[in-house]
Amino acid sequence: MRAFLARNRLIVLAYVGMLVLLMVTTFFSPGFLSESNLRSSLVLAAFIGIVALGQTFVIIGGGIDLSVPWVLNCAAILMAIFCGGQDLPLLWVGPLILAAGALIGLVNGVGVALFGVPAIIMTLATNVILQGLIVIYTGGLPTPPAPEMIRYLSVGRIGPVPVIGILWAVLALVASLLLSKTAFGRYVYAVGSSATVAAFSGVPAARTTIVTYMLSGTTAALAGMLLTGYSGQAYLGMGEPYLFTSIAAVAIGGASILGGSGHYLGTIAGALVLTVLAGLLPALGLSTGALMVVYGVVILVTVTIGSDAFAGLLRFAMPARPDREKRP
Amino acid sequence: MELLSAGGLSKRFGGIVALNEASFSATAGEVHALLGENGAGKSTFIQILAGVLRADQGRILLDGADYAPRDPDAAARRGIVTVFQELSSIPDLSVEGNIWFRREPRTVLRTVSWREVRRRTEALFDRYRFPAIHPGQDLRRLGLAERQIVEIAKALAQEPRILVLDEATSALAARETEWLLDLTRRLAGEGRLVVFISHRMGEVRAVADRLTIFRGGRTVAAHVAGNVTDDEIVTEMIGRRLERLYPQRVAHATDRIAVEARGLSSGPRLPGVTFDMKEGEVLGVGGLQGHGQRELFQALFGVSRSQGEMRLWGRPAAISSPRDALVGRDGIALVPEDRRGQGLLLSKSVRENLTLAVIRRMSRRGVLLRDAEAALVKEMVDFLHIKVSTPEQQADTLSGGNQQKVIFGKMLLTEARVLLLYDPTRGVDVGTKSEIFQLMRDLAAKGYAILFYSSDLQELVNVADRVMVLREGRVAAMLEGEDLSEGAILRAALFDEAA
Repeated sequence: MRAFLARNRLIVLAYVGMLVLLMVTTFFSPGFLSESNLRSSLVLAAFIGIVALGQTFVIIGGGIDLSVPWVLNCAAILMAIFCGGQDLPLLWVGPLILAAGALIGLVNGVGVALFGVPAIIMTLATNVILQGLIVIYTGGLPTPPAPEMIRYLSVGRIGPVPVIGILWAVLALVASLLLSKTAFGRYVYAVGSSATVAAFSGVPAARTTIVTYMLSGTTAALAGMLLTGYSGQAYLGMGEPYLFTSIAAVAIGGASILGGSGHYLGTIAGALVLTVLAGLLPALGLSTGALMVVYGVVILVTVTIGSDAFAGLLRFAMPARPDREKRP
Repeated sequence: MELLSAGGLSKRFGGIVALNEASFSATAGEVHALLGENGAGKSTFIQILAGVLRADQGRILLDGADYAPRDPDAAARRGIVTVFQELSSIPDLSVEGNIWFRREPRTVLRTVSWREVRRRTEALFDRYRFPAIHPGQDLRRLGLAERQIVEIAKALAQEPRILVLDEATSALAARETEWLLDLTRRLAGEGRLVVFISHRMGEVRAVADRLTIFRGGRTVAAHVAGNVTDDEIVTEMIGRRLERLYPQRVAHATDRIAVEARGLSSGPRLPGVTFDMKEGEVLGVGGLQGHGQRELFQALFGVSRSQGEMRLWGRPAAISSPRDALVGRDGIALVPEDRRGQGLLLSKSVRENLTLAVIRRMSRRGVLLRDAEAALVKEMVDFLHIKVSTPEQQADTLSGGNQQKVIFGKMLLTEARVLLLYDPTRGVDVGTKSEIFQLMRDLAAKGYAILFYSSDLQELVNVADRVMVLREGRVAAMLEGEDLSEGAILRAALFDEAA
């Protein structure tokens, strides 16, 4: 564990940052630490955290998934329509939609890994195609309300703990084990560090990349269904905020945006930071517009702190601690 | 009169002393070799000369005046230009675009005058009899050797008084090396100073008038080249007597055929080769650069598509990816040409690099067995004498020789008994070189079959059992025993009648 922390200083930093933000927010808005507020913050963070789960794998693997907003949105709308407000259909609709999310991920992954389409273009295209398809399909008509069962998953509680919090914890455990304890996890880091070196070492590089995108499609679809339960219904555009927040959570969590490093434990901190920030600004009397500005600045600052150039700058500014310098 | 003299130069990196009161002096009109093992301080010294680093102590005099450049531009203004081992060219620019980068001749409208660029490039190539490279070609289309030549052209375009060549020949094949050695003599003849760094004693012998030897950051000796023997030089470099660079060659080849290639072809550079590799044999691959050696290695390892028939240990083999190549004891492993780009995950630990190719074997139902991994890593680190403080050390903090050992270790762990070694000693210090040669012979004795390409003919002659010379992607000669010599390899590489 100590070795893990030493190697992942940025993750520790993300948690420290989160705690500092929490204290600042509590100072301006003492009600923030109330049980009900913490609970609703946790629920909001869980949505970001679930979308960002797949995104974490994709980014560590050296890619990026810009298709999450409309994968999420399509999943939400299709679930609402197929279930028609009933619980029973959810038993087959739920798995089907998760599989559909994975299928979109498969398309993204195949485009990136086998056809060499740059990840940004591939997933951006998928995103806009899905947007078009779902608009055609629904004709813009409102959808039926969310089934009770899914409402329970997103807003229900077991004792004081929100159900979605438990779900998130389980997913987080699975994701962390996948990254740290499995051959697949090792492959993801290897491919993200250098796809060439990985391939020269016999790593199934293309397959690994494809699986990361499939994970991302699946978690985006899951988040779409849960979010429908939270809002009570599905609507066009509900996925939009998650493009930025899913990537930002990964970046704030200390992953290199170029791939090869990071961990889901960091992404969790990232999701919490974004949620606390969203609570802090209203406390300061600032608007949604201001929140977006702050979001933008935060991601710039965190990515800069993690970059090599910044490390070089630090070394330049503080030559008194040169033992980090490489041997010539 | 000394053109360049340095005294009391020291440079520390944290706890590591890279240079410890080193001194150096050289005159105009000479080729001056700078020798030492990796980590001896050569790189630090030339980086100080080039203005990349600044010395903590000591002073350098250039023409009797103080010299302490702030950056490489300042160094170039004083007439010192360095060709570094790590290439600094821009792949998206043309050859001439790279040569004149930031110094392009302008038209009256301040745009780049490409016509003048071309004229100057051709004049430069002409003057120094450069090997044929088209000035307009994009650099990304060129191989390592040609890029190295472009770097040299870029340096010469600045008309340096002192040219520093840091292992400039390590990427070059025999004919280009000849050209470069000849070039250094001509530059010296023009009254310039060439500081020449190379790990190849033959080259140093061919060009150097004087030599300075660094060890552990200190200057241990300076000689006139004619007054010192190779043995003395090597002893001074490593601080002890190296019994021999090349190990005893005991033939271990059996009658079992490990690799059988029949008309193996891949692209225009490898129209078809036919050869056998025996169990227990080190088969050398020679020839001029670009005559199909790289394509052969890539085809055997499944990096590029190939046609033709191939058998491994008697069974037909269809290898279409490195993943196919690396399966089990009957597989093929490659130590690739580009250590940093193909061999190592630079930002990952020694442990992760070592076990990358065998991670599946070290997991049960996909779950890693960390204890098994740690044991295997420790075993390999000890076996290859990889110098690390801990296996968690990041790969890019290791010296070139240790990095190469990590790649060897990664491939040995796969248990594949056919090893492809593409120039495994490039940029590796003499001590590690001798360890690698010994390892190759030991593995051959254990029944491995080793295909060994080297850009250094001496290595082929001294380490391989047989040498297969390629010309235009075909086997021009198979040399062994009495027939195996540097001259024979060169003749076969150059002329038809030698075949």
